[in-house]
Amino acid sequence: MRNSGERRRRKTPNVATGISAVVLIGFVLIALLPFLFMAVTSIQRTTMITVVFDPAKFTLDNYVRVFADGGFGMALLTSVIVVTLACLVNAIVCSLAAYAFAKKPFPGSEVLFWVYIATMMVPGQVTLIPLFTMMRELGLLNSYLSLFLPIINAFGVFLIRQFMETIPDEMIEAARIDGATEMQIFSRIILPSIRPAIIALTVFTFLTTWNDFLWPLVSITNEEMQTVTLAVANLQGRYLTDFGLVMAGATVSFLVPLVMYLILQRQFVEGITSSSVKG
Amino acid sequence: MIVPIVMSGYFSLTRYTVLSPPQWVGMDNFIKLINDDAFISSIWITLAYTLISVPLQTVVALVLADLLAKRFRNRFGSFVRASLFIPVMSSLVVVAVVWRALLGTDNGFVNSVLQAIGVDPVNFLGEPTLALVTVSLVTVWKNIGYFLVIYYAGIMEVPSELYEASAIDGANRRQQLWRITVPSLRPVTFLVVILGTIWSFQVFDLVYVMTGGGPGGATRTIVMMIYEAGFRNFQMGYASAMAIVLFGVILVIAVLQRKVMKTSVG
Repeated sequence: MRNSGERRRRKTPNVATGISAVVLIGFVLIALLPFLFMAVTSIQRTTMITVVFDPAKFTLDNYVRVFADGGFGMALLTSVIVVTLACLVNAIVCSLAAYAFAKKPFPGSEVLFWVYIATMMVPGQVTLIPLFTMMRELGLLNSYLSLFLPIINAFGVFLIRQFMETIPDEMIEAARIDGATEMQIFSRIILPSIRPAIIALTVFTFLTTWNDFLWPLVSITNEEMQTVTLAVANLQGRYLTDFGLVMAGATVSFLVPLVMYLILQRQFVEGITSSSVKG
Repeated sequence: MIVPIVMSGYFSLTRYTVLSPPQWVGMDNFIKLINDDAFISSIWITLAYTLISVPLQTVVALVLADLLAKRFRNRFGSFVRASLFIPVMSSLVVVAVVWRALLGTDNGFVNSVLQAIGVDPVNFLGEPTLALVTVSLVTVWKNIGYFLVIYYAGIMEVPSELYEASAIDGANRRQQLWRITVPSLRPVTFLVVILGTIWSFQVFDLVYVMTGGGPGGATRTIVMMIYEAGFRNFQMGYASAMAIVLFGVILVIAVLQRKVMKTSVG
């Protein structure tokens, strides 16, 4: 795949490539060092943020305190529940809706689809206040439901519908002639072929829900219902210079997506960049 | 999703505190907005933040993507891309918390380094202009990996014959970048710029955690303004009017950029 310009360069390729590599390593360091600071500080007895690990100062005390005083155990549980619900419901609702839009056209469905897609362009900040009022009227503030319902959006339907277009209608027809029920068609033919889209959507849902901040900030008033991300911000507000404690909280909230990322790297990048159609 | 948008529009025409039901006031909120210096300055602040972060993150992402695609289509290259993606998946709150600690004046790492080399400590988040620049740069730091992935995928789609033919004609690497890569990637650049701009106009988490909108409102962006009006002062009608303005601005940017990109293509 290398283009022939490579061979024709005036400078020796090795020197230029070497300099480029150094520059890139510099960028990698800048990208990763802050997280290293965070992790090292969180396991140190220290009054300042540091990247030098000193075994003499090693302690897990920050983690003990963050779970005891910071209410982190509860927040972790809330986030896990909310994220799981959001991913499940989003995958189910979006794939069913996308199926209807792609393979079960009804009068006006095309118009309805594009109106629905247009709502994708509206930033969440614009609908923040009505969402808050609606949830309050329904008495849902401070509930799991209020935390994950707003996550369900048109983006998932759009993503999955695009995938479904590639399934030939003849395949569905053939299955129907063979006597397959709607449920069987959906679970045996549709689901397997849209798997990549569902995985991408799930990764996207997972990350947006886990990292969401503004909505929990305004909708959660009960400390026991705070999400991990909200808890980290609150820690920083309350214990500003207790770096060990704050970094322990930040590390916990960072590690969950990081571990998922390291396991599912390709799907992660696809899932998150596929949202670039959004907006 | 339609309902909240319509509700937003309706609330923006009312006086609405959380305790009493909305009261119709017509255009009063919008008239008040035009005369609200804090709101006008929040628009300028958001604009400045956008003008610092978007061009920078776009150019750096493009240059790095080009470098990776030309020289490092190997394991080192994928390691670099994977590493630069880590800030992308991390939450803005974690990013803000860590950078705030690194840049702080009390034992912050960056200032310790500056002191060690004999430079006076810099109050990155305490000086109005500097705070805005700092927050913008942290945004760039976080977004580069995302746009890098998009650009990288775009470069992979550029037919390699274009590069081969130009190399035979004696084009050097810089000429190839300017004459082939950049023009071929125009649609990608369009996406990167528009997405970056829209994200910039939605900035909240970073500002809330790093500066709280301070010092003296110097980093109070539009969404920060909406949050304060709606959820600190409970002027929900007034805050809805701001949200409608934000929505309008984002729509205008999307349309404008589409136009600009179209004319520069044709």
